[in-house]
Amino acid sequence: MGLLRYTLWRLVQSIPVLIGIITITFFLANQIPGDPVEIMLGPSPAQEQVEAIQARYGLDRPAHERYLTYLSGVASGDLGQSIYYDRPVLEMILLRLPVTLYLTVSAFMFAIATAIPLGVISAKRRNKPADHVSRIVSLVGVSTPSFWIGLMLIIVFAFYLGWFPARGLPLPWEAPADIRGAETQLQVIRTSLHHLAMPMVALGTLQMAQITRIERSSMVESLQGEYVKLARAYGVPESTIVRKHAFQVAQLPVITIIGLGLSTALGGAVLTETVFEIQGMGRLIITAINNQDYELIMGTTFMFGVAFVVGVIITDVAYAYIDPRVAYGDE
Amino acid sequence: MSEPLLSVDNLKTQFFTEDGTVRAVDGISFDVYEGEIVGLVGESGAGKSVATSSILRLVDSPGEIVGGEITFKGETIFGLEEGDDGEPRPRDDMLSEKEMRRRIRGREIAIIFQDPMESLNPVFTVGGQLREFIEINRDLSGEEAEEEAIDMLREVGIPAPESRYDEYPHQFSGGMRQRVLIAMALACQPDLIIADEPTTALDVTVEGQILEMVTELQEKYDTSFIWVTHDMSVVAEICDRVNVMYLGEIIEHAEVDDLFYETKHPYTQALLDSMPRPDKTVHELDPIKGVMPEAIDPPSGCRFHSRCPHAREVCREVHPEQRDLADEGEPTHSAACVMYDAFEVGYEESRPIETEATGGFSAGLTETGDGE
Repeated sequence: MGLLRYTLWRLVQSIPVLIGIITITFFLANQIPGDPVEIMLGPSPAQEQVEAIQARYGLDRPAHERYLTYLSGVASGDLGQSIYYDRPVLEMILLRLPVTLYLTVSAFMFAIATAIPLGVISAKRRNKPADHVSRIVSLVGVSTPSFWIGLMLIIVFAFYLGWFPARGLPLPWEAPADIRGAETQLQVIRTSLHHLAMPMVALGTLQMAQITRIERSSMVESLQGEYVKLARAYGVPESTIVRKHAFQVAQLPVITIIGLGLSTALGGAVLTETVFEIQGMGRLIITAINNQDYELIMGTTFMFGVAFVVGVIITDVAYAYIDPRVAYGDE
Repeated sequence: MSEPLLSVDNLKTQFFTEDGTVRAVDGISFDVYEGEIVGLVGESGAGKSVATSSILRLVDSPGEIVGGEITFKGETIFGLEEGDDGEPRPRDDMLSEKEMRRRIRGREIAIIFQDPMESLNPVFTVGGQLREFIEINRDLSGEEAEEEAIDMLREVGIPAPESRYDEYPHQFSGGMRQRVLIAMALACQPDLIIADEPTTALDVTVEGQILEMVTELQEKYDTSFIWVTHDMSVVAEICDRVNVMYLGEIIEHAEVDDLFYETKHPYTQALLDSMPRPDKTVHELDPIKGVMPEAIDPPSGCRFHSRCPHAREVCREVHPEQRDLADEGEPTHSAACVMYDAFEVGYEESRPIETEATGGFSAGLTETGDGE
């Protein structure tokens, strides 16, 4: 049962990383020129008003004191109070996070589901037409920014063809009453998927392209391995060799790319959400920065940090699960 | 002896590269009879491994078998005939790719590769890999195959095979992995095992153990072997008959004792002289001069003439085919060298030429080492 211990150990190891993220974010956010109180109250506010607000959000205390307060708050699950929304930061995050996760996870599933077959076929038919097509597609995908793809999709499929809606992203589990034109839960799910299609493709294309490229090169290498020659020499059918012998070895670098891609995808989600006017974490972080909402900036950045760390841990654990050579660190 | 188990006749395998055609195997012929170990010896690049992958019809692109015939137990592994358009085409009796896969590879002819570190799949257990090959090639159920796999691991000297069955290749040492590969070959119960430099990557003590084990198991299972190596000491230890390859051709063939005690071809002699022995110091070792030329553009005449201490004018002009040089009633001992009277091309009258092995400083050294 090394795997469970390994996972727990990796979780413990991530604590200093998270503290680091909080520390850096805290001091950087406080260095941003400008004053949230000024943004809140408009130009030339009354001195008493300023002092009242400062006292309310603890802005009158020195930075190191606020830092320690914030740190102990985070430890007990309190991410502070948003100045702009005047609501707890955690509440805002929990409101927006599901939308972003829904978008990101779908984009990843789209990317993996298309990239892996594409990469494998490409490697199997190396230097043949199918390979060239897949390589061009992935090259274009890697070099095209997600927001541009989003805009193009909107122009073609929303504006000219009118096949997909260009704005918003309702969640599939929202109540039918909250969604216009939906009466049953099934209709909510349909509406949700309908809205999801374009942002998912816009966000997932980069991941798809990257995974395809890695999958291809990794499979090409694996198919030339001695163990593949051995399997051939023992009469193993070619399809089994590709699906089993070569495939499993080839997935190790692919997993790394998928895990690290999670952070890229979250970054991409900020842009995609802006293009498609989706009320997710991306929009939240932009609002926070625009309004110098310290606590909200820290809270959202911290959540992105957590997502990144979780991505890395999932990668490590998946790696250890697939590759028996990765030691669990218990010997 | 009766019919040979495997018969290779004038096999030619070429690689079509951008720089030209590489004639990696250029018309080799040899037989393997039941229960014997036949050596295939030569330097790196002589075409030994290409020859063995040709036997399984597993030559990687851009390589291709372009001529000759391979017969195994009366079945045609490879054979061409002239088609209606005058171009060679596969004969009707040549086994299809599917038949090769289902009936020959693993089941009838198994192979042990050179590099035990790379040959096992790192993400599957040793036992699982062994079991898969047994299942495919012996029509056993999963459970029977597992039992057989454990027995076989024990047979090749792996301690506690029941627990090691579930371990991964990286938990095995190089020697242990090579034992696993040997177990794979034997477990499929083939009639012929091709061992492609199986001990080259191992240290000498492990090599000795493996050779001893193979000799024992070979007698027990009565399997024939083609033993590919560049190491003459391995040949002496294990082989019954030996084929010496140079640049895609077999240049000498003899029973193992004859090869060592009545060496005919200067290349074989050179290989033997370059072998470290306890009765020779490093300074007395006589390495082969020069490097093997590229198979893409082999020298004219005898391919070895550019490195041969006995080269004469005629060697550059005449390309010798192998001829039997043994006395009547003796087992075959053939060599491809015009030095011998049987070739009747006027070697004695021909003018000696300067080669990498004769010219300048090295000339004196080679003269003393040669007994003629």
